[in-house]
Amino acid sequence: MPLSSAIEGNGMEKLIKIECNDISKTFIQKGTVEVPVIKDVSLAVHENEFLVILGPGQCGKSTLLRIIAGLEVPDKGFVTMPDGPIVGPGPDRGLVFQGYMLFAWETVFGNVEMGLKLRKVPKAERREITMHYINMVGLAGFENHYPHQLSGGMKQRVGIARAYANSPEVMLMDEPFGQLDAQTRMFMQQEITSIWEREKRTIIFVTNNIDEALFLGDRIVLMEGKLPGTIKEEFMVDLPRPREHTDMELLHMREVITERTELVL
Amino acid sequence: MSSHIANETVGTIKESRPLSAMLILTNIYFLYGVSLLTFFVVWDRVAALKVFDDSLARPSEVVMQIKMLMSMKFGGTNLWGHIWASTLRVIMGFSLAAVVAVPLGLFMALNKYVNAIVKPLFDLLKPMPPIAWVSLAILWFGVGEFAKIFIIIIGTFVPCLLNSYNGIRLVEPELYDVVRVLGGNRKDEIFQVSFPASFPSVFAGLQISMSIAWTCVLAAELMNARDGIGFLIKRGMDTHQPALVLSGMILIAAAAWCTSQVLTLVERKFCPWQRSIDNL
Repeated sequence: MPLSSAIEGNGMEKLIKIECNDISKTFIQKGTVEVPVIKDVSLAVHENEFLVILGPGQCGKSTLLRIIAGLEVPDKGFVTMPDGPIVGPGPDRGLVFQGYMLFAWETVFGNVEMGLKLRKVPKAERREITMHYINMVGLAGFENHYPHQLSGGMKQRVGIARAYANSPEVMLMDEPFGQLDAQTRMFMQQEITSIWEREKRTIIFVTNNIDEALFLGDRIVLMEGKLPGTIKEEFMVDLPRPREHTDMELLHMREVITERTELVL
Repeated sequence: MSSHIANETVGTIKESRPLSAMLILTNIYFLYGVSLLTFFVVWDRVAALKVFDDSLARPSEVVMQIKMLMSMKFGGTNLWGHIWASTLRVIMGFSLAAVVAVPLGLFMALNKYVNAIVKPLFDLLKPMPPIAWVSLAILWFGVGEFAKIFIIIIGTFVPCLLNSYNGIRLVEPELYDVVRVLGGNRKDEIFQVSFPASFPSVFAGLQISMSIAWTCVLAAELMNARDGIGFLIKRGMDTHQPALVLSGMILIAAAAWCTSQVLTLVERKFCPWQRSIDNL
């Protein structure tokens, strides 16, 4: 399919924001052993879509995300954005890490500001944007705290603000709530939903949690539970937000997806 | 502050429970006191009973000795002169080693070619105890000031370099991904991640080096010196004055503690983000 072609959906024209074409990647372990991680993955993500890649551990979903981020180079296939093919990491794609990956030596402010600083945005403007996103994630008043003084949920808020502050067109989230306790996790899911509704971006969200996928996604891409990872099936989640984990329709979809996969997610 | 807490604890116990022996016995400040008191009493008894003949001075004698040293000249220099002589050697040797070793360690971690050139030499010399260089240093540089500083440089170089090197090598590689994703280049990776992330390890190396520097200066001064704390200890040994030997030992511990505290202050200034670990 040619780039930036519009496809019909819900009576609206949707721009394709990111397209993976037939991507395969093999890692070499211990010098000689070849481990195929993903194979022939094609995927189109629309503008402002909340796409969830759902799959069990070790199915190549994080590798796929790293390829889209430009941190890994696929052996076969390519990833394109409207401006052209992806050749490396860039500020047009923001990444939120599972392990937070905050700079321990920077304050909350310094962490959120980092992308703007690297791109040499003038100081006054930098300050304004940084404070905006610190407020957005609800960390106003914590801007001078260091990461070790924050809880897990707060750390990931910083991670999210840091990615957003750089104004990426696409947000990539690699199991961002994987290390949080159940309570915080559900709260953060609501938060990210409302952030997405306020600051519309294309989001590709990787998770191994089916409830999280259903709560968040416009569309769920199910990946096979063994290597090399392939896309098994796609599900549209056409439910209004804010959703409830106990919503009947949502539970019905949960059953459908669970039936399609032999693994417990 | 601590005694205030201790007093408060004991005070409330007295009011609420008359039989509080167990609580007093488990009060940590009480135990600190017991521990120190026991040490000094045992020391005093061992010395007073002449267990080591007359080669162990009593604590009171050591205190008298230090007081005496403060008010008189010894070997042409007063007490502060001796402390300063040793401290100056430590500072000189330590600084010269750190100024070269820390950047070199960082370079080795960042550049595999620098690493390939330096590492084999370093691995060859690393296991050699610094004191083994004493004789050679005297042969090369005579008994002057530089021979002593040379020993300190040799001793402090290794931990400075090793910790700087490891400081960068052990950086979480995903942190570099963060910089790249945010739009940074290789230079940003080094300045925004490698260097700041290595600071705690660099300072750990400096702390180790500082304590080794005091070991080295003592060894050098015991061999040959006309001033310094090692000179005091040597003189105490030669003239059989155990109080003087012990005074020297206490003074060198105090001086080493002071330099270590200064380093800790500098570290706090440079790494305010470090979780502070008290009582370590």
